[in-house]
Amino acid sequence: MVLTPEAPPRQPVLDTVRPRRRRRRSGLNRPERIAGWLFVAPVIVLLTVFLLVPILMALWVSFTSWNGQGSPFRSGVPMSGAENYTRLFTQDGLTRQDFMTSIRNNLYYVLAVVPLQTVLALALALAVNQRLLKAKSFFRTAFYFPSITSSVAISVVFLFLFANSGAINGVLAWFGIDGPNWFSDPRGVLHIVLDTVGLVDITNPPAALADNELLGLSWWQWLSGPSVAMCSIICLVVWTTSGTFMLMFLAALQNIPVQLEEASLIDGATRWQYLRKVVLPMLKPTMFLVITLGLIGTWQVFDQVYVMSKGNPAKTTLTPAYLSFRTAFLELNFGSGAAIAFVLFSIIIGMTLLQRWVMRDRDDVRRPRWFRRARSV
Amino acid sequence: MALDNPTADVLAAGAMAQAPAPVPVPRKRRLTPRQRARQVANYAVLTFFGLIFLYPFVIQISNTFKTEPDASNNPLRLIPDPFVTDSFVRIFKGTDFPLWVVNSVLVTVIATLGRIFFDSLAGYALARLRFGGRRAIFAAIIAVMAVPGVVLLIPKFLVLNQLGMYDSYSGLIIPLLADAAGVFIMKQFFESIPGSLEEAARIDGAGVFRTYWSVILPVARPALITLTILSFQGTWNEFPHTLVAVQSPELFTLPRGLADLVGGSLGAGSQYPLKLGAALLTLIPVTIIFIIFQRRFVRGAMEGAVKE
Amino acid sequence: MRTSHRVMAAAFLATAMVASASACGSGFDDSPEQKSGPADLEILIGSSGQAETDAVQKAAAAWAAATGNTATVIPAQDLAQQLGQAFAGSNPPDVFYVDAGRFADYAKAGALLPYGNEIEDANDFYASLREAFTFDGQLYCIPKDFSTIAMQINTELWAQAGLTEDDVPTTWEELRSVAERLKAAGITPIVIGDTRDRIGAFMVQAGGWIVSKDGTKATGDSPENLQALEYVKGLLADGLAVYPRDIDTGWGGEAFGKQLAAITFEGNWIKGALQNDFPDVKYTVHEMPAGPKGKGTLSFTVCWGISAKTEYREQAIDFVRHMVSAEQQIAFTEAFGVMPSRSSLRDQYLDQFPNDEAFIAGAEYAQGPVKAPKMDSVLSDFDAGLQQLVSTDPKALLERLQDNTEAALAG
Repeated sequence: MVLTPEAPPRQPVLDTVRPRRRRRRSGLNRPERIAGWLFVAPVIVLLTVFLLVPILMALWVSFTSWNGQGSPFRSGVPMSGAENYTRLFTQDGLTRQDFMTSIRNNLYYVLAVVPLQTVLALALALAVNQRLLKAKSFFRTAFYFPSITSSVAISVVFLFLFANSGAINGVLAWFGIDGPNWFSDPRGVLHIVLDTVGLVDITNPPAALADNELLGLSWWQWLSGPSVAMCSIICLVVWTTSGTFMLMFLAALQNIPVQLEEASLIDGATRWQYLRKVVLPMLKPTMFLVITLGLIGTWQVFDQVYVMSKGNPAKTTLTPAYLSFRTAFLELNFGSGAAIAFVLFSIIIGMTLLQRWVMRDRDDVRRPRWFRRARSV
Repeated sequence: MALDNPTADVLAAGAMAQAPAPVPVPRKRRLTPRQRARQVANYAVLTFFGLIFLYPFVIQISNTFKTEPDASNNPLRLIPDPFVTDSFVRIFKGTDFPLWVVNSVLVTVIATLGRIFFDSLAGYALARLRFGGRRAIFAAIIAVMAVPGVVLLIPKFLVLNQLGMYDSYSGLIIPLLADAAGVFIMKQFFESIPGSLEEAARIDGAGVFRTYWSVILPVARPALITLTILSFQGTWNEFPHTLVAVQSPELFTLPRGLADLVGGSLGAGSQYPLKLGAALLTLIPVTIIFIIFQRRFVRGAMEGAVKE
Repeated sequence: MRTSHRVMAAAFLATAMVASASACGSGFDDSPEQKSGPADLEILIGSSGQAETDAVQKAAAAWAAATGNTATVIPAQDLAQQLGQAFAGSNPPDVFYVDAGRFADYAKAGALLPYGNEIEDANDFYASLREAFTFDGQLYCIPKDFSTIAMQINTELWAQAGLTEDDVPTTWEELRSVAERLKAAGITPIVIGDTRDRIGAFMVQAGGWIVSKDGTKATGDSPENLQALEYVKGLLADGLAVYPRDIDTGWGGEAFGKQLAAITFEGNWIKGALQNDFPDVKYTVHEMPAGPKGKGTLSFTVCWGISAKTEYREQAIDFVRHMVSAEQQIAFTEAFGVMPSRSSLRDQYLDQFPNDEAFIAGAEYAQGPVKAPKMDSVLSDFDAGLQQLVSTDPKALLERLQDNTEAALAG
């Protein structure tokens, strides 16, 4: 039984399975070859010019200290070798601090968003998948709708919702909670929790943590958790993306035959046991997919930071993507900005490769198509 | 979202396609009290989350029609008091909103047409035409799909600058004319079409392009519609690209204009009804497309579901 | 796959790359050809509001009509970012505002044309303002106006707390006691911006600053600065002062205009903003209270920068001459409440706007922005620290400022 949300069983069309045949280099294939190249030419040109070449140019710029004047490719552009990179990692200074701060912020963001959106997506999918549910497509649409909206427009809406006297704080007030000043509160959530519990004093952190550094930030700073302001962005993103992942879970759930559920109930399992022992294991591939896609996506957060906070308050919503942009266009330090972009690139490629590797285990690539199709019916 | 994470969206589209009607259960069966309770709980959960997912839009709509003090002081109140349309007047008179709409429409229409044309051409060639280097190109396209958009901010600026396309319509539109995910979708689709159509056309003596244009393309309607919808949504909502491609206010599209409205000098003070109204208008076109083409989106995307 | 096909594929890709790379390195002409004839000037301004945009456009149109050129004025949404992008692009605007705080970066990068010596009456402009725009001994651009920070008091809220004219504070201690009385009356006493551009005034009043007078040494970590930061921290911690964001406003002027606080510290620009958006607020302007070392405030100035890459050098300089002429400066002053940068206009200005005495008085003892390249990230890092002043140790903040400044000045 095929469990991954892959292409649904297509009609067995044997025509498309071409027996392996030696390609004849005869003139008969010429028009086809030419046409083939012509057809893909526009796409290749566009993707090369606007995807591949930019990356190479940026790589070049990241080894210079080009300040934005004139062309970075003429001679005389000041080269700085690997300095832009070492400044990010090994040289003590503001650049490293800012970069590490952005990494820290994005790390906490990833750690918060990925589990939250996965769990929420799964919960919603389970809820929508109930057999006797009416208005199923209404709910499905409602949950998916935020995903297709413009991130800028949604950021505007959430700026309003999370304003100091906005809707969210209004709702919290119903429960007697005095909502924080969401966008101006730079305190980290972990710090607040530790402070409330009484373990540490947030205005006077323990010297052991505050005085010792790792890569430019003190341990106390590393352990701050996402800031309150960052939490509002986290809410926004989870709200926006859960719908997409819910659909993936839904598809996987639909692939679980109803008979399995009935059989397990007959065997005396409770619904909870059925969920845990039968459904969840079958959802594993989808779960992996959702998690890795989430990992890839969360490292790219930019729009919301740009529109809502621009890194404030106190750099707690600074992310590598936004830092790269700011370093280049606001501080005219394109070399450093490009270097940051490349480090981010490597992180994301790492996640992508991880995803490809994890998902590839599911498939046995060598089996021919018709075999897989037969099995999936 | 589409350009953030094309694979996610394509997967989701495919996933939506996978939702057949639930297995019919004989209705007459009575539910045990426990099952009934569970059902009620389920509805409760769904309604609760439905509210969470939709209510912000309700708040947005209601606050667009409030006066500024009313919006600041009573954000949760659904009925504006007084009910005014000042925000829309100010949007159209006090900002460059009409210009942004024109630019957005221009960019979206041209880019979508471009993508439909180029992506389907390339997808067909990769699926059906035999030419050398085909597999390498397809592998390159898959690789390219993994490149995250935000990393390309500075690089794309450099290229546009060098080519002299910075701060012009060409710089704004041309990079959007083709995308790797679209090629992928079309290729997947074309692979599923029976080869008999082409053989018939070939026997009739039609050339490659003729075959493609008159015979294959009409059959590709579902995939083309999906591609159109995804492209429309992606280019209409596109923001980071507009940030690095242009700087003159005359070339702003809706997301760019909206971002500057909120973050720039026009954003002095709260002016929430104005901002919410502009955001609302930005959301409307894609919403309409989504509601109308939901089913199409679903069915057509079946062909394009990615196998990871 | 056949080797030849692979080669073809590679060749195809390579051609595409070479084609686009050939556009690179096409060399940049460092001094562009000058065009004669009617100029088409592009002017980018960082407007403080509609009033300023209108005034500048009107003046530009008048110049254009008189000289037969065209001048297009564009208000920037984010001047620093747009200029940054524009300089990297090959077609920056011809004339643009240059904020004194960013001047050193642009000058060092070679983006500006030093035309100061082409302006005959350059000495008419205040020396301290000219100094702010001199780099490497050259006067790069002419300051268009300036503002200083002063103290604005909402007279109605003042009276509500039972305070009178005599209670207007002139020292730090008086400021604090007045704030306490306001707080006791249930009024938020002070709203102050959360950046160095406001809190820095207190540092100056205590006798300290971020860099030394000549801008070559870092002086962030000094007892004077520490005293100032501890004073402000005390105000914030005791609820006697709030940041604008804490009360849901974007800046001090907005909070003041909405009458959410009785005292704020803002510059001349607040006049126009209050007039346009909050005309009912009754307020008076006073010099900022003096600190331990005496009076102090911050000054802000902007100059008319001309791009080094402009093709209309002469016309651009002529445009600037027109914009900084005495008549035009008075017109701008009337339109959007800035102070003329010509010292000869000082008395005329005071006659017309006697209420602005506090602002102009500040010119005597004001500290200008930090004029050193590459300080931008250091200063925004300092701002980030100031945003958390309540929960931060001021000494640590200043030490960090010192370290970063030293690194920036050295590198």
